[in-house]
Amino acid sequence: MKAWFLRSLKKGIVTSSFPSGKNEALSPWATLPMRDMSGEVDCPVDAIQDDRVDSGKCISCGICFPQFKPSMQIPQINMVRVEKSLSKSMKLYLFDSGTCGACNLEIMALNSPQYDMNRLGLSFTNTPRQADAIMITGVLTEGMIAPLKAAIDSMASPKIVFAVGACAISGGLMGKSISEITGLDVQVPGCPPDPFVIVAAIEKARGRI
Amino acid sequence: MISPVRIVFEEDGKMFALRRYSEALEDFSGDLLKKRSVDLKPTEKLSLFPYGPSAGGLTESIYFSLLTSGERIEAMNYDTSFKDRKISVSGNDIPKAVLLMERINGIHSASYSSLFCDLIERSSGIEVSQEIMDLRILMMEMERISHHLFVAGRLSGGASQNIGSMNIYLLREELLRIIGKTFGHRYFFGINKPGGTGREIDVSNIYEKLESIVKEYTEIYRTLMDSRIFIDRTDSTAIIRDEISAGPVLRGFGKNMDGRSQHRYYNKLNVRISTVDSGDSLARYVVRSEEIFSSWEIIKKILERNSRFKIMEEVKMDKIQGTGEKISGYMETPSGDLSMIVSVRSGKISFFKYSSPSLWNLRVFADAMKGNNFADFYFGLESLGLCVSETGDIR
Ligand code: SF4
Ligand code: SF4
Repeated sequence: MKAWFLRSLKKGIVTSSFPSGKNEALSPWATLPMRDMSGEVDCPVDAIQDDRVDSGKCISCGICFPQFKPSMQIPQINMVRVEKSLSKSMKLYLFDSGTCGACNLEIMALNSPQYDMNRLGLSFTNTPRQADAIMITGVLTEGMIAPLKAAIDSMASPKIVFAVGACAISGGLMGKSISEITGLDVQVPGCPPDPFVIVAAIEKARGRI
Repeated sequence: MISPVRIVFEEDGKMFALRRYSEALEDFSGDLLKKRSVDLKPTEKLSLFPYGPSAGGLTESIYFSLLTSGERIEAMNYDTSFKDRKISVSGNDIPKAVLLMERINGIHSASYSSLFCDLIERSSGIEVSQEIMDLRILMMEMERISHHLFVAGRLSGGASQNIGSMNIYLLREELLRIIGKTFGHRYFFGINKPGGTGREIDVSNIYEKLESIVKEYTEIYRTLMDSRIFIDRTDSTAIIRDEISAGPVLRGFGKNMDGRSQHRYYNKLNVRISTVDSGDSLARYVVRSEEIFSSWEIIKKILERNSRFKIMEEVKMDKIQGTGEKISGYMETPSGDLSMIVSVRSGKISFFKYSSPSLWNLRVFADAMKGNNFADFYFGLESLGLCVSETGDIR
């Protein structure tokens, strides 16, 4: 116990003050690419239309480099409503409908001391029954359709449905979007989204920013 | 012992096999390993406990059913098919196939894409420089440390070592931020291309930061190994001694085997293999921790001879037409050996097969759980470092 205590003292404060303060990091290709020089680009998911990148389609592959460069800004979060009643506390349920694993781990990263989700009144719950928000990751897979519908149905209102990552939002590179079976309240872009982008989306959905 | 067969396929009426840590296909005439099937029948005293496919505590969707008397596990089954993405690699052009490789198992994307690019290069006679091999090794070893830290964090959290667990997650996040800043992506997406790299990578100022992460982990590791509670919870749980297992599971019961030790890429890097004899969750934790240190030894050598990786003279991927010949190989991912066979014809992937370490480790874990205490299921599962995504239906 003493060893842990001494370690914490030595380490000092590591927790970000984001969103009231600045985000300390942002993974470049998790931000939206912006046109930097002329030239043809063969985007593998047709995310580029008239020099604008569709954040829900972009799979952060960097193939558009050097014509496009990461904007290094937290991308615009598309959402249909704000749920202010959850601004004090919100329980999240993580639902993997068909991922490569990376989106799941980026959501789970919110638990690490740098983000310290508890300071924002956020926590994970083990059952959708107790959840205020469902964080859906991955493409829509046949086997997960029934569990996903059951999970959303079992949640009490008000509930927020987050689609986290390009797979969930648009189907990404290899599948179908989860929008085929449920409405999406909030879209968190990226492949995978940076944890700071996930925090920004959650805070926006609760009307805190 | 002869290395276990990892991939078997039939062509023109003949059977072929690829063994663990092998780059050569061979004729196959033995018996195929049977699909695991265990009949779980509940009785008056034994009930069936379902867990999944989506449940808190699981990092990915998977379904377990455990036949249990409440305390003791009598038998166990699993089903990974719920989140099957049914990805078809065959038929795609090479650039798209590389993107798919990165996303079969996103948290081990460097290992998958490095092996895939290596096979494409060998199939087309492209020789890559030592520099590119160094870049791939660097990514794979950083990926290994990141994965082992995640598993260590989960395992220690499960064993009520919450402060230890948070300290480990803190280090992992520091590492991911270094990776993100240096490579442009926290999981190395978009770097590997057949023949080179898609981005210029400057690694000139990461040495001290990585050194400090490893140093801090050394302290955490020592503190955890001094904790009676941590040892008690993980010691003697989920003992696995099955030769078909992979990676840290295999080395956790004393097998001195690691694909890196004989792989071309790691030539002259003197990979130190760590083993522990007991085969339990604690042994796998110790192996992973020691691998964090040995990965750092490898990374140091790479960083001593490279400070910047330049975009290599671009190999035009649309110029790679291929001959249809099957090229096979392996890589040691953080979870164990990944084997793969690829062929390219008319610029498209015409054949693709692979075998993932999680598939083998899940199978041996299910057998090993018989007789374990119900509460030990969690430690056993977390100590595997399972990636369900890589067990899916991918052709
Ligand atoms: S990063 Fe990839 S997916 Fe996104 S716009 Fe560029 S090419 Fe398209
Ligand atoms: S969006 Fe990208 S990171 Fe997330 S699950 Fe899909 S492929 Fe993986």
